[in-house]
Amino acid sequence: MSEETLDLLDRARVNAGLSPDELWMRYFELGGMSTALQVDAFLHGALVPTIHDHDLLAHALNERFVELGGNHPVPYLEDRHVA
Amino acid sequence: MVTWPDNGPGGRLTLVVAFLPARVVVAVRGELDSLTAPELGAVLNGLADRGHRSVVLDLAQCDFVDPAGLRVIAESIAHLALSGRTLELRSPSGVVRRLLDLVGSAGLALLDGPEADRAAGLDLQRSVDVGRLAAAATRLGPVTAVAGAPLPGSIDGEAVDASLRLVVALARALVGGADGASVSLRRHDRLATVAASDETVLAMDADQYATGQGPCVDASTLGRRFHTDSLNDETRWPAFAPKAQALGINAIVSSPLVVRDQPVGALNIYSRTADAFTSQDQDLASLFAAEASTVLSGVELSVGSASRSVWFAEALEGRQVIALAQGVLMERDSIDETEAYRALRRFSTQTSRPLRERAEDILASLHRRAAAPPASSEDIHE
Repeated sequence: MSEETLDLLDRARVNAGLSPDELWMRYFELGGMSTALQVDAFLHGALVPTIHDHDLLAHALNERFVELGGNHPVPYLEDRHVA
Repeated sequence: MVTWPDNGPGGRLTLVVAFLPARVVVAVRGELDSLTAPELGAVLNGLADRGHRSVVLDLAQCDFVDPAGLRVIAESIAHLALSGRTLELRSPSGVVRRLLDLVGSAGLALLDGPEADRAAGLDLQRSVDVGRLAAAATRLGPVTAVAGAPLPGSIDGEAVDASLRLVVALARALVGGADGASVSLRRHDRLATVAASDETVLAMDADQYATGQGPCVDASTLGRRFHTDSLNDETRWPAFAPKAQALGINAIVSSPLVVRDQPVGALNIYSRTADAFTSQDQDLASLFAAEASTVLSGVELSVGSASRSVWFAEALEGRQVIALAQGVLMERDSIDETEAYRALRRFSTQTSRPLRERAEDILASLHRRAAAPPASSEDIHE
């Protein structure tokens, strides 16, 4: 997973107006199994998430963007692998 | 989402509390009188004390308000106003509205309808119904919390409690052969049971703490799973085994709870039947232990304990709904877990609806089909 991919997650988080904890809470609700500390590490590039974890975070962010009236700006890695 | 009392509808007053991004909605169902008003008062005061900016009191399903109920509402308005916050009343019935007019409700914000909350992605009524469906689907039984059992130092006890009880209930319901389950946590080098499904498991845990022996003690200390197929042939715990046998217990599996790489406790599941736990059952037990560990690891966030506790109940319900819907899709379409999740997510993305709502729809359609067979399978297809 490239650094840009992870940077994009954290930038999207900032744009979505979510703290790392708030993003983790949304991720957890969607079934995520990593801890808040691990998610923070994903965002800062200290740990590399699995594709599934990345996509859960992407989806948590996209649901937030929809709440704010937007679309789904964060791409999913699984779709790319399937295609 | 939290419902009081938690034994469901049937009492004279039910309160449903939903935490939304900008406010808290308290929905009142039933009668608000001198007997039930103090309960609402306690909830409203609790919310006010915990600093929630805006509280909405939904009276759409409130049938009756007497002077005691009005007083509680008025006091809460005053309480919140002291710190510049508001209590909004939503959808009061004609009678309730006239009563409020009589006592003078100047300054009250009256709202009509839950549109605002729908926009925020939450439908009170439906969330509750799906919760019940999910609960029925997993055969959740009653689980008792153990009063007074202390939790580890910095962990938020109130928040953890509900989550661990849910894990215990799920473990007992879903692990094949399980007759009971408990969670033990260590504090100041002493183990305590913080959630238990029944008195037998409580007694079993106590025997382990007293003898310093048993799978729970070993799993919580050594951080790996301990399992015994039959206590008849067990040689590892000579002081503990006969005591457990006297309780009618034959097989036990204890899986460690791990926080920041340190074992902090164990999820214990017992059976009265020897050889009750297959290797799949043991793996499932470990999964629940991992779930409980995730819960424990995530608690140390700087959020108020009450909202935290409510959030955990809601989040676990959401996870459960999604997992159940995933299972339905896997079975229906012969796909694996990842593909099932992707199908849910794709639908959510295409319709701009939350993934959880899609999962709820799938479970609801299953419920409808079960109620009225033989329906076509169309309604749960994409």
